[in-house]
Amino acid sequence: MIDANRLKILTESAKYDVSCSSSGSTRANRKGGIGNASIGGICHSFTPDGRCISLLKLLLSNRCIYNCLYCPNRAEADVPRASATPEEICELVLSFYKRNYIEGLFLSSAVDRSPDHTMELLIDTVIRLRKVYRFNGYIHLKGIPYADKALISRAARYVDRMSYNIELPSEHSLKLLAPQKSKESLLMPIRQLATEKFVFDQEKKGKHSTRFLPAGQTTQMIVGASPESDGQILRLSEAFYRKFSMKRVYYSSYVPVVHHALLPKKCTGLLREHRLYQADWLMRFYGFTADEIAGTSENLPEEYDPKCAWALKNMHLFPVEINSAPLEMLLRVPGIGNLGAYKILKARKFSSLGFEDLTKMRIVLKRAKHFITCNGKFFGSENISTVKTMLALEAHEEKYEQLSMFSTPETSVSALTGQL
Amino acid sequence: MNVYILDGTENMFYSAVFFAYSDADCILSSAKNIQLTLDARIITVEYEEDKCERVKKKIAQYDPKALSDIALILKRGCDTKEMTALQYIRLILKNRAPVRDQLSHPMVIEAMDERDKVTLEAHRFKGFLRFMEGDHGIMYAPFSPDNDILELILPHFLRRLTTQPFIIHDTLRHKAALWNGKECAIAQTDDRISVRFSPDEENFQHLWQEYYCAVNIAQRPHEKQMKGYMPVRYWKFMPEKNPGLR
Ligand code: SF4
Repeated sequence: MIDANRLKILTESAKYDVSCSSSGSTRANRKGGIGNASIGGICHSFTPDGRCISLLKLLLSNRCIYNCLYCPNRAEADVPRASATPEEICELVLSFYKRNYIEGLFLSSAVDRSPDHTMELLIDTVIRLRKVYRFNGYIHLKGIPYADKALISRAARYVDRMSYNIELPSEHSLKLLAPQKSKESLLMPIRQLATEKFVFDQEKKGKHSTRFLPAGQTTQMIVGASPESDGQILRLSEAFYRKFSMKRVYYSSYVPVVHHALLPKKCTGLLREHRLYQADWLMRFYGFTADEIAGTSENLPEEYDPKCAWALKNMHLFPVEINSAPLEMLLRVPGIGNLGAYKILKARKFSSLGFEDLTKMRIVLKRAKHFITCNGKFFGSENISTVKTMLALEAHEEKYEQLSMFSTPETSVSALTGQL
Repeated sequence: MNVYILDGTENMFYSAVFFAYSDADCILSSAKNIQLTLDARIITVEYEEDKCERVKKKIAQYDPKALSDIALILKRGCDTKEMTALQYIRLILKNRAPVRDQLSHPMVIEAMDERDKVTLEAHRFKGFLRFMEGDHGIMYAPFSPDNDILELILPHFLRRLTTQPFIIHDTLRHKAALWNGKECAIAQTDDRISVRFSPDEENFQHLWQEYYCAVNIAQRPHEKQMKGYMPVRYWKFMPEKNPGLR
């Protein structure tokens, strides 16, 4: 059994990886097996920082041959080192899983000895879980750059999701801060997995016996360790979604754990991270393009969320009439989200909706009222600078609430997802 | 005013609805300590199969999905649940159609809110339920939910722990689901079931507590959010919130 001390080291090294989500995969339990993956994702606990625990998030080893400047586990750092065997990890996963502590495993590792060596140990662990222990719960595996192509596609047949983190938003920054990782070493496996998954899903249509990354790929980048603008970052994300059908891009605001002349001394504000998630949400669910949200060299405004910012720039499109506006337009109204738009669509079939009806339906109108009419009546302010001030004041209130919403479960309507 | 006294079962409820439907200002309740007014006339309801079925058939005719909404509402742990369900039924029968989507109607809002409280809690306990390993390898999970959700979460755990015998025990309602790997039964229980734990149980609880502390980012405290997502009343049976619990 793994001891508490090693567990602590291997957990603490893994915890900054924000991707906690266990959603997006369905994996039925097989006869004689244990576990399944649930489509909505399930939170098993919440830590005092307000984040959800869904997966057992662990490094297999924190011994690293590389030297990424920002990383507490880089080769030159003087930190306690530990590793766990595949068998120890399996035992821990099963014991936690059957006690209903966790939904599955998020396994990652530093580059111990060599990329292939590490990747082999990771694969050994997941195959053991699936074959020896017949574990059908959720597994997310973080890929090791430079590992052999065949190893990468082998892993993809056993796990629900894989991620290669792009780490930094530009090639230049990557060279500077993570000198051993090249852009290609990260992009190649992402491209390989996307292509293989596409081919696999085409051939496999309807047949369920084997699977290839049913929950797809995700990636993550550190925001604020390097000088790229939000506009640049969002264009990169957009490309990931379009070209590689990436399921999620995670943004992790930079925390200085390591001191170095090339690194900023200060934390990046969580507000910036939050605004990026909001903008990301607009691209994924509301049909916005990166171009509409921010110019290439622009940052997202701090005063209000990106949907407000877009609406204020496009006042000629507003106000829209709640009782007749199409879904796409309702979704573009500041303050009205998926759920609100859906409620409006349904309710207006039965009776035309007045302002009070929206309140009864618990649609928050503080922001929305400046951009809508109900049966032709307008309740907002005509004066755009008044609107701006009011929106900014409102966002200010929201700011302190959400600043600390560092990470929350994807299952709830929440800040990390950036839902607007 | 007529007051129909119920026992909390669905059958009894629908039997009463047969009469109560057109009885404009009546009260339907299964509450133990119901407050009666001076003009109250108490009616003890009896289960009558034909009336019960007729009511259900009528409702299903106008909205096939309504019966499952009502079943959920009746699992609420609050005294007004029968009235909420009755008013919802009246509205369906009056409209002769589903009313679920009339989202600005106060009665619909209330019914859907109550239903959602039940499904939300059931969803939460898929995550918050905690099993402990007994010395014969049976997993035991006590919990005391606000609503009567044992039967709602059971299928989830049956799918997940197919070969693993387990007991889920609602300590508030004194009932438990027992699964031996082949058959499942719901049984009435005492307040406490005595279980001897396996020798490893303490170790794994300890590792879990250790893990819980290690993943927390101490520089970013947000207790309020933690408690919002995981209400304090649920902590009782969670090892990570009870370092002394063994
Ligand atoms: S590869 Fe870089 S980021 Fe990963 S553990 Fe090693 S030093 Fe840290």
